[in-house]
Amino acid sequence: MKEQMVKFLVNGTTYEISIEPSMTLLEVLRDKLGLTGTKLSCGVGSCGVCTVLVDGKAVNSCLTLAITVKGRSILTIEGLVKGATLHPIQKAFIDHGAIQCGFCTPGMIMSAKALLDESPNPTRAEIEKAMEGNLCRCTGYVKISNAILAAAKALEEGEKQNG
Amino acid sequence: MAEEFSVIGKTITQPDAVAKATGSALYAADIKLPGMLIGKVLRSPYPHAKILRIERTKAEKLPGVKAVITKDDLLKIAYTCSFRDLPMIRAGSLQRPDQFILADKARYVGDAIAAVAAVNEHIADEALSLIKVEYEKLPAVLNPEEAMKPGAPRVHDHAEGNIAGHYTYRFAQGDVEKAFKEADLLVDDTYETTKQVAAQLEPQAVIANYDATGSVTVWSPCQLPHLAKRELAHIFGMPAGKIRLINPFVGGSFGCRLSIYNEPICIALAMITGKPVKIEYTKEEDFACLETRTPARYHLRMGFKKDGTLTAVQLKLIVWAGGYAGRSQLVGNVMLIWGLGHYRCPNRAGEVYNVYTNTPMSGAMRGYGNPEIMWGVEQTMDMAAEKLGIDPVELRLKNILKVGELSNKGLPIESTALEKCIRMGAERIGWKEKRDRREKGGSRCRGVGMATAAQSSGGYPGLLEHSTALIKLNEDGSANLIVHPGSPGTNIWGALSQIAAEELGVFAEDIHIVTGDTDITMFDLGSHASRSTYVTGNAVLMATRQAKNQLLERASKRLEVSPAELETKDRKVYMRENPQKSISIAEIARDAIYGLDGECLNISGKCSWEPKSSPSPTAAFFAEVEVDTETGEVKVLKFITAIDSGRVINPTTVEGQAEGAIAQGIGFALTEDYVIHQGTGAVETNNFDSYKIPSIADMPETEIILVEEPDPTGPFGAKGTGELSLAGVAPAIANAIYDAVGVRIKEMPITPDKILEALERREVS
Amino acid sequence: MIRVLKPFEYFEPNTVKEAIDILSRYGRKAKVFGGGTDLLVEMKRGKIAPQYVVYIKSIPGLDYIKYSQEEGLRIGALTTHATIADSHIIRDRFELLATACKKVGTPQVRNVGTIGGNICQGGPSQDTIPSLLVLNAMLKLVGPHSERLVPIDKFFIGPFQTAIDGVELITEIQIPALPAQSGGCYKWITKRTTADETLVGVAVLIVSDSTEGICKDIRIGLCSVAPTPFRARKAEELLREKKFESELLEEIVQAIDDEAIPRSRENYRRKMAKILTKRAIEEVWQRINYLKNINVDGK
Repeated sequence: MKEQMVKFLVNGTTYEISIEPSMTLLEVLRDKLGLTGTKLSCGVGSCGVCTVLVDGKAVNSCLTLAITVKGRSILTIEGLVKGATLHPIQKAFIDHGAIQCGFCTPGMIMSAKALLDESPNPTRAEIEKAMEGNLCRCTGYVKISNAILAAAKALEEGEKQNG
Repeated sequence: MAEEFSVIGKTITQPDAVAKATGSALYAADIKLPGMLIGKVLRSPYPHAKILRIERTKAEKLPGVKAVITKDDLLKIAYTCSFRDLPMIRAGSLQRPDQFILADKARYVGDAIAAVAAVNEHIADEALSLIKVEYEKLPAVLNPEEAMKPGAPRVHDHAEGNIAGHYTYRFAQGDVEKAFKEADLLVDDTYETTKQVAAQLEPQAVIANYDATGSVTVWSPCQLPHLAKRELAHIFGMPAGKIRLINPFVGGSFGCRLSIYNEPICIALAMITGKPVKIEYTKEEDFACLETRTPARYHLRMGFKKDGTLTAVQLKLIVWAGGYAGRSQLVGNVMLIWGLGHYRCPNRAGEVYNVYTNTPMSGAMRGYGNPEIMWGVEQTMDMAAEKLGIDPVELRLKNILKVGELSNKGLPIESTALEKCIRMGAERIGWKEKRDRREKGGSRCRGVGMATAAQSSGGYPGLLEHSTALIKLNEDGSANLIVHPGSPGTNIWGALSQIAAEELGVFAEDIHIVTGDTDITMFDLGSHASRSTYVTGNAVLMATRQAKNQLLERASKRLEVSPAELETKDRKVYMRENPQKSISIAEIARDAIYGLDGECLNISGKCSWEPKSSPSPTAAFFAEVEVDTETGEVKVLKFITAIDSGRVINPTTVEGQAEGAIAQGIGFALTEDYVIHQGTGAVETNNFDSYKIPSIADMPETEIILVEEPDPTGPFGAKGTGELSLAGVAPAIANAIYDAVGVRIKEMPITPDKILEALERREVS
Repeated sequence: MIRVLKPFEYFEPNTVKEAIDILSRYGRKAKVFGGGTDLLVEMKRGKIAPQYVVYIKSIPGLDYIKYSQEEGLRIGALTTHATIADSHIIRDRFELLATACKKVGTPQVRNVGTIGGNICQGGPSQDTIPSLLVLNAMLKLVGPHSERLVPIDKFFIGPFQTAIDGVELITEIQIPALPAQSGGCYKWITKRTTADETLVGVAVLIVSDSTEGICKDIRIGLCSVAPTPFRARKAEELLREKKFESELLEEIVQAIDDEAIPRSRENYRRKMAKILTKRAIEEVWQRINYLKNINVDGK
């Protein structure tokens, strides 16, 4: 099938690019838009490193056909930082030693964002359930959990200050 | 103790954390070069086959294909992915150069037969499908029993009986047979451990470029970059100076990336096409082609006196190499060292056979044989404790090595806090209260179990050790530290920057790490054997000390006191007796560059450091489990690791390593099973959906206790730490299961099926 | 596995009729793409290579959860597992289905995978099926010329073989309302880790009589212990309309064992089918009676 011009809304910016329907969202992000923060590992939806948010929901971009999310709001790891200011979740991951090799980190942070947007005060059990689709081989997840709880607190405090 | 230091013992922001958290860290797959081609490898579908003919014309003619290579296009230079003829092995080379860039014969399902380079991935895929290989299938040996049978087909012509290596324990002493006869208790068991996969998240990806000057640049995740460069130079008959190896960010290794894999093929494609070539493995290729933990079957005998004193220990091991020897040659040998040297024992002997099989390659995974062998040693200790009527904690305390005795590597122990680790861990888990409960909560029984382990800080004395560090001061008082440990994500750069910062008297963020390029960095063996903190750390310390001496020399002229009266701290040089008399490090560094106090000098330091020791970090492991006796399911409720790794440079880093090790150990003991189809030889468990590593939902409550006992030879007293915290996890869980339900499973992984079967057998008997 | 998919023609129909027309035109060369997680994995693993892909999530009006006492529960086939798991209606009244949907895959997969897609997979281990079986779900199938309702226990013919005839799409799942004194649960054991494929899955639904201790109706659904998910009808008969007694449980689980035909890890699966059934029945029975007692006493 010939390539088609399709509009994507990624990290708040609209891109109009030529894609084949057989391209996954992950390919479009990495190869067409140069957003290499989202990674490829298992390719079959078991590891979560390719996690991005589509309309606020965590999805495996390696199992999403790009054409099916045209016009939807897509958020990747690159979209979290505002200028030079890290998102509280990113800051919490850094401060709590939740990053070792870093390969699972973008996907982890995106899943954490989806969780905290929906449940600002998650219990440890809720964190486990929300993060069970993101594998990490380095950290044992302990500091990742700690970081998510800390980020929840920071976001709450930020809300209080703003509100 | 941490109060003495400004930076050591603190948690710092890791130098690369922001890049990783924002997605800007570039791993090999993220790198694009102009004109870059995509390379792919055609792999054997058979475990053992001759290659009769390769029909490649159709593939070569496909538009967009720039190269198709087979073994006939390449010089037949044998090498080993784990680096042949290592001058590092003092005992003589164990390595077997038995590989070629493309296989001369298929020796496992996945062996590399041909390769293509094309302008995009679609075309590369299609080109592979157009290459027709005519194989002559040969009978295959898919496990060591088959391989060792008389008359079995030879995987390699040179290896009679498919033996890749046979080694005896180099620290053998006493007379084990006599001691076993005289022992009050003899415990005699066979254990089996599995082909655990590194299962790092980042698939193997390599880029190679060959320019008009005849120089090769290769972007590789290899953890031993200078050694890889050397091996690649050998394979291509090039001077080493013409090869430049760059490490991008690496997404985990756990030992699999000690070796090289697609680098030679990638370089060959780059040479032939004159363009940069990238080869990215699929995760399935990772599972089939990267070295895994070396599976072992061993017969372990331990003899004890009535009072629990260990008097004799013997190991007879068979380990599987797979289709090529690779790093399994070293691992089997080292298993003897961990297993036979862990406790005080006057009578010790052992031997290992490394066996070729037509299966994917085995090599080193975190622990380098230690987790494999502690699986058996620590369960046998547990069984001995029960038979002797001695508490398992007491049995360990009785036999652990003390200061002054010889370590598992035959070196005098200068520091150890293992006793403290054991006692603290036992107290924290509630050993006395929870032991022997056989707590009946309906069908659920709880138990606690323990294990201990000791590792090393570098490969001395078995391997030659060398790390060189270079540090230069910038005119703002910051410093660039040029080092090259491999960094697959261990946070070693943070630790090295803390060592340099403490010595120099600046903040951790003032140390900029310059690394990853063999053209810039001086020789470093790389990262293995938990060497980086200890060996590279000491090189960094000595290099920084040299720079500091230059700094003090210059400062002494300005402050008009002798250098011996000066100290550095908080970015200042100051007089010890009168701290008001001070000057900023920045000012001294800048003025030296511009010759304001004498000859122009860029203050710097360099040190090539060779250790004369390899102090053993030690640890005690405590697990609490709950076993459902109706379903056989095991839940690890709590896990405590008490670690003695000398001075802790960064507590968060050591904890993080230990927590990750608990996850890997739970996988090793309970959930990870690498299954090779016994008919086809293909890997059935070849991705994360079929090979299950623990997720966040499988983790217990954890506690990491850092017991600091500074080592006299480590940088600020630090010992190695990366591997140790894995070695005792699996046996502690096995021992806890025994405490809970009275069954002992010696084969891995411990599955609910096996527990139920064992419970039924016990009821019957 | 291939990392990049072979090219195909892509369609985004706006109505069910349009989708069916396209699928009819291209026959076996076309595949339905809903959540897509199963389809894309099969394509990447080289099991299938469709030339035409029909994206049906673009069809409006198939993503809903409706409930009324008269009509019962109606779920649109394109409703995701995540939506079902979080739905108050389903958690309050059909909790076992919410539990089952929450078990499927991972959060990322649950966010896109549809209940209709899960049913159409037709595999022996889909988590949602045991619950749908015991809830007496009916599937609305729409074809080129007609619509029909198929009871779910007639939908699975063999492993990955469904009763879909020619070109048909599931558009709705209908579940009758449950009587007051009823309850159910879904229990499972996974293959290895917590977030993993189900090794044995058992759903139980019990309706109890206002008369003390009579089990008016009992339904037991299992997955992963036979070529298709199934209702253990022989086992059910042992307790239906009978007084609940613990001794009966032994007979019931024996009947389960007789009906199970697991393919691998046979011994273990049989044992687990029995144990999970026993535990599920005990749990549901206790729960219903506890609730019943509360109502009776007015506490």
